[in-house]
Amino acid sequence: MERVSTGVDGLDKMLRGGLPPGRPYILNGPLGSGKSILGSQFLVDGLRRGEACLLVALDEPPHEIKANMAAFGWNLDSLTALDATPDIKSHKKKNVIDVGTTLDVRRMDKVQDVRKSTQLRTMEVTIHSVQKMIKQSSRDLVERTKAHYSRIVIDSMTALKRFSLRGEDARVLVQSFMRFLSELEVTTLLVSSPITPGVLESEFLLSRGEIFLHKWIDGNTMRRAISIERMRGTEFDERLRPMTIGPQGMTVFPNATVTARGELTRSIDRPFLESQAAEEVNARVDDVLASVEAVRRVGGQTGEAEAALLRGVVALNRKRFEEAVRHLVTAKTRLTEEMRLHDAARRAGAKKA
Amino acid sequence: MKIPTGVPGLDRMLHGGLIPNRPYIVSGPLGSGKTTMIMQFLLEGIAGGERALIVALDEPPNEIRANMRNFRRDIGDIDVLDANSDIRRFEPTPIVEISDEQEPVRMRDIPERIRKTPEVESHEVTVHSLQPLLKSLLRKRQYARIAIDSMTGLRYFCMREFEEDVSTQSFMRFLTEEKVTALLAVETAGELDVPPESFLSRGEIRLHRVRDDSGIRRFVSIEKYKGSAHEEMIHPMEVTQQGVVIHGLPPPPP
Repeated sequence: MERVSTGVDGLDKMLRGGLPPGRPYILNGPLGSGKSILGSQFLVDGLRRGEACLLVALDEPPHEIKANMAAFGWNLDSLTALDATPDIKSHKKKNVIDVGTTLDVRRMDKVQDVRKSTQLRTMEVTIHSVQKMIKQSSRDLVERTKAHYSRIVIDSMTALKRFSLRGEDARVLVQSFMRFLSELEVTTLLVSSPITPGVLESEFLLSRGEIFLHKWIDGNTMRRAISIERMRGTEFDERLRPMTIGPQGMTVFPNATVTARGELTRSIDRPFLESQAAEEVNARVDDVLASVEAVRRVGGQTGEAEAALLRGVVALNRKRFEEAVRHLVTAKTRLTEEMRLHDAARRAGAKKA
Repeated sequence: MKIPTGVPGLDRMLHGGLIPNRPYIVSGPLGSGKTTMIMQFLLEGIAGGERALIVALDEPPNEIRANMRNFRRDIGDIDVLDANSDIRRFEPTPIVEISDEQEPVRMRDIPERIRKTPEVESHEVTVHSLQPLLKSLLRKRQYARIAIDSMTGLRYFCMREFEEDVSTQSFMRFLTEEKVTALLAVETAGELDVPPESFLSRGEIRLHRVRDDSGIRRFVSIEKYKGSAHEEMIHPMEVTQQGVVIHGLPPPPP
């Protein structure tokens, strides 16, 4: 069977040559474990081979990804990006429009700054609209160059599901989306970290493999490791291997071994997953707290955000992680908006002066 | 009376094999070896001159076939029913129920590439259409062994969430009445997870998967077996190119 390189030599060795092509895979791991870095490295590898690659950005806007990846010296200019980050939710009545009707995919070299939420309408992202965009974009690509996308990264599936799926059809919509990716016969990495332990997410059930990025504190150093949890159609290295994230990106050491702390041994157990989810939510709480401070310093309003933060912390206490994240995202959005208004006012003031 | 499972060692754990014509489940987390075990179960039937059917719900049949190339056994004689739903259409287009046209195909006749959703219509698989289709297939083709891969896929994607339990119960009841030995793959999310199929099946073979820094270790246990005594201990197992191999079994009874 031919293989697709992941862009990380050591990981390719663990996979006995790379990923079986044309299938969707899960990229899992806690916050800050390097999922987006591995995703980008996978895309950069494709670009270097002259393949057509697509990034569907839902967590971070493309201009931020571009800036972050420039730090590794990677040039993403020829990458096609679909900015599917949702707009700031308007609380006034506006026309809601589907992302599929207005947004277009763009090459990374055309991406400059954050797309501003417009005053008149709010863009909503649905799984269906993302699917439509990918389809349209691959059709255009075939018309222009006769080539098909060979690699797609969805960053992240967690965001796509959390913000874009409503109602009881969620599982069926995920099934349809995974089927869509399978029929494209494109090698896809879906960044997904389940936040509620004990629940099997549909995309995990339908994916053909899972790569897990581990990170933990050992004394006072951060340690990282990578493992292949499962992979259809190929034998693979089942051991945990050390991994580092350095100036050149991710490096995996396929011949070295890791001695992990006890928690890792229990990594399939509920307590571990719970502590992992709690860690992620805690990181978000810290982030929101820092933003509250920042907004206060410039004299902005933090009331609504703080109320959301409080609801988030309560949910965290009750171990309702998903709900906690929802509140914290609301708080963060409110604070970002407040900061933006402040910056705009300041710029206008400066111009007048 | 009992029939062999095709997994060396598992028959010993089951004290001779499975009591025929009943539904059993093989449960465990993703990547624990369920599909491999199912293939061995079906191949054992083929080797005995029986007909065997796998209903594929989680993976397209072309990929199952490609994946099994590593497996040193020929699965070409197993029939496969493609029960993967097409891409859903959001515009009103004719929806074709699976029972209208899907037929099982021999594994060896499955094309290399994935079946594409047609431009003008969509196949949709629901338990309401799959059940009558299986019923007529079981009668027409006289399958002795059938596997559902997976029951979780059937529950997640082919049943309405609010009637999941009732539909599962009715589907298992249907298999019992059809007098076929059925092995249903069930995904579990953690060791403590008890899926609804556990209560309804006549037996549960549980696969365990433990990850530690030396790799992935796999174990198998018999959680339940109605109408028979069985091995009570958990045994280590391996997924090899020959299939699932179970270790640490006591010597056979004299």
